[in-house]
Amino acid sequence: MASLQGYVDHRVLLILQDGRAIVGVMAGFDQKSNVVLSDSKERVYSMDEGVEEIPLGLYLVKGDQIVLIGELDDAVDQSVDLSTVRAEPLPPIRY
Amino acid sequence: MLIFSVFKTLTDQQVTVELKNDLSITGVLKSVDQFLNIRLDSIKVLDEARHPHMMAVKNCFIRGSVVRYVQLPAEHVDTQLLEDATRRGRCTAKTMTVTKTTIALTVLSDLWRDAQSCIPTLYSTIQVFH
Amino acid sequence: MLPLSLLNAAQNKPMLVELKNGETFNGHLINCDNFMNITLREVYQTSAEGDRFWKLKECYIRGSTIKYLRVPDTLLDAVKEEQNRAREAGRSARGAHVSGAGARGRGMPTRGGRGMVRGAPARGGRGRGRGA
Repeated sequence: MASLQGYVDHRVLLILQDGRAIVGVMAGFDQKSNVVLSDSKERVYSMDEGVEEIPLGLYLVKGDQIVLIGELDDAVDQSVDLSTVRAEPLPPIRY
Repeated sequence: MLIFSVFKTLTDQQVTVELKNDLSITGVLKSVDQFLNIRLDSIKVLDEARHPHMMAVKNCFIRGSVVRYVQLPAEHVDTQLLEDATRRGRCTAKTMTVTKTTIALTVLSDLWRDAQSCIPTLYSTIQVFH
Repeated sequence: MLPLSLLNAAQNKPMLVELKNGETFNGHLINCDNFMNITLREVYQTSAEGDRFWKLKECYIRGSTIKYLRVPDTLLDAVKEEQNRAREAGRSARGAHVSGAGARGRGMPTRGGRGMVRGAPARGGRGRGRGA
């Protein structure tokens, strides 16, 4: 059973269908993969400048918009200097 | 249900999942559910340079609805058994309810129900298990 | 913390709703249901491009069209606090019930009577003593 229980109270990376990447602490979820993220920040990637982190606060994301939920390894995440990262924004989901 | 059973037999195998946003992730299949949502451990994004977004992610949950392909290890899938089970699924009027976690057992429980009409296939399957 | 419980607790609170088509709605939540259909009041609607604006007294949004909702940060702690308080209240109510019923059950054979009003406080007292 693929459950999100293991991610509760952990810092996670959420990738949405429009290509957005959001990091936050997963406060809760349900059977339809709707997710509650607290202390969330959107990470905007670009080829010209480093990653921009926009604070968003408490977020309820609909499950049908979610592509992937990744458990963030805090140690590795801290060691990454976001200002040096250059990348294309993630492509949106195309059916 | 049948494909759900296939995935259940492949837990702890290395698979590569290609998503509908062209992202390809390789990892160990930890679990799967009825919606074909996938849990992968020890993941590695295939084109890491283009997608550094997941550098700090070691394991993830992928929503079934966004998966385009799952590349399976060929040696761990019995395509013959799969074909038989698929054909049997078409000849029974009702949908099969999967109560066991392996395809082999699915086939056997199905045969138990349809012994009368599917005796030829019963014979060939028994031979396989011999 | 279920997403729907968070939403139910957010009634009368301000929130931002973004739809799948990119339009945003800023307003106070009136009501919601299990499909996440919601009604908002005093709504400021913005087009997907961010160039057109509308003000609506009230609106209904179908849950299936929602991309996400942004709610005040304080709501999470408020809901957790409420859930804890409800749990504590439930626990104490259940505890009083159990000790009362147990006393009555045990009291019956020795007393031999059910309708003994004078006996009741004593039975209750015994139960309470055991409970303590």
